[in-house]
Amino acid sequence: MRSLRTIAINRLAAVGPRYLPFLDVATDEVPLSRLLRLSLFQVTVGMALVLLAGTLNRVMIVELNVPASLVAIMLALPLVFAPLRTFIGYKSDVHVSALGLRRVPYIWKGTLYQFGGFAIMPFALLVLSGYGEAVDAPRWVGYTSAGLAFLLVGAGVHMVQTVGLALATDLVKEDDQPKVVGLMYVMLLFGMVISALVYGTLLEDYTPGKLIQMIQGAAVVTVALNMAAMWKQEARDRVRARQMLEAQHDPFREAIARVATSHGTIRLLLVIALGTFGFGMADVLLEPYGAQALGLSVADTTRLTALLATGTLIGFAIASRNIGLGQMPVRVALAGVAVGVPGFAGIITSSLGGAALLFPVGTVVIGLGAGLFGHATLTAMMRAAPRDQVGLALGTWGAVQATAAGVGIALAGIVRDVFVGLSHGTGNAPHAPYNIVFTAEIVFLALAILVALPLAARRANNKATPRSADQQSNPVEVSWQR
Amino acid sequence: MSDDPDKVWPTGLTLREAEEVHSYLIDGTRVFGAIALLAHILVAFSTPWLG
Repeated sequence: MRSLRTIAINRLAAVGPRYLPFLDVATDEVPLSRLLRLSLFQVTVGMALVLLAGTLNRVMIVELNVPASLVAIMLALPLVFAPLRTFIGYKSDVHVSALGLRRVPYIWKGTLYQFGGFAIMPFALLVLSGYGEAVDAPRWVGYTSAGLAFLLVGAGVHMVQTVGLALATDLVKEDDQPKVVGLMYVMLLFGMVISALVYGTLLEDYTPGKLIQMIQGAAVVTVALNMAAMWKQEARDRVRARQMLEAQHDPFREAIARVATSHGTIRLLLVIALGTFGFGMADVLLEPYGAQALGLSVADTTRLTALLATGTLIGFAIASRNIGLGQMPVRVALAGVAVGVPGFAGIITSSLGGAALLFPVGTVVIGLGAGLFGHATLTAMMRAAPRDQVGLALGTWGAVQATAAGVGIALAGIVRDVFVGLSHGTGNAPHAPYNIVFTAEIVFLALAILVALPLAARRANNKATPRSADQQSNPVEVSWQR
Repeated sequence: MSDDPDKVWPTGLTLREAEEVHSYLIDGTRVFGAIALLAHILVAFSTPWLG
């Protein structure tokens, strides 16, 4: 009997560390499988983005008959939280936990908000559209509940992405950061493509019941994937917990001021804003442009999205490789923006009597540029941050990037609509409004190049002083030795 | 490890650690409860039950 008991206890003790969340000790090297698992949070971010910007955009207008302007306002609500990413990142940097956790509590909270938003969203949308008995309900119920649902999902996405990226940065050495950034971007793209396909199939024949099933299914999948992503990623650590209790941190205002005054950060952020704005405006316009200006079929325009994604993937791969080999992230970003300009120029000429082939080629080139640019700027931001301010730096990156992309997408639609409205009277060609937006994008990319040029030059001069020396003494990793 | 007087058994966590784990559980339950309540109210608006 006694030996049986001993065997049982030993078995349990052996099983424990594998299946219990807090019993794990972080090792020096993080295997790829663990990073792949962590990157699952990007899949849920992609799912949420596609659901909001793509699927619900259509379902609310076509099937639920919600006015388009109201839909636009609702979908813009998550943008309100984008600047708060800076604060979320800072909070996770200075978080005090008896368990020694910094990032995981925030990923968990973000997951809860994502889940909560998705859980009430279908019912809020049905009430908003006056389904069933909800016709008699006061109007404000639909407005506030739908708004709350979108706000919750938006807040959750911002929290999960900011803190998740910070956790990924914590886990790897600086040499491996380009690979991790590439992995995170690829998983975001992967999540967006897969979920777009799945939502499309599920909503082939729309019923209110299917809408509820789909959105709540997304809620459950989000929780499952995020749980899998954060499982055992951050070790419980008493030494770090003690350090957290004693550590003195700058107040938010001073910390952000320090980031702002550090070498070239403001300039880098400006480049990120301009470049993301320029590339972001293209996303929503390529498909209608192909259909209206070039007369492509639905199947052809869908293929365009695939082309854009292919170009972006190639861009990530090139950026990962080149930065990994030691090229400056800022220069790779510069190359990305520089590639984007001829891409847009090609798209404009394709409707002005140029070869039709210029359009798909231009699309791939834009994807390539956007991939290079996105990857390189995120890596640059990761490297610019000291280890104890990773959350703040990535929060700032996210705030600038998400705001620029969101405003870009919204503005592109508005500008196009305005010019389409104007050209009805004057009888302009159908490609004119699009070409105005594409030209504006070239201007923004050119501005980004102008701002980035001194940065690339200056960083090259500083290269003489190796900055890897201080990275070796990593306070976080030292404290992991228990 | 075992000479830490703060440790509570059988988990091996200290009191502060146990309280933190507990706070995550409580917060999660509160948010989940609030969301569930709101979802039920919204469903009741569109397809009323209980008369």
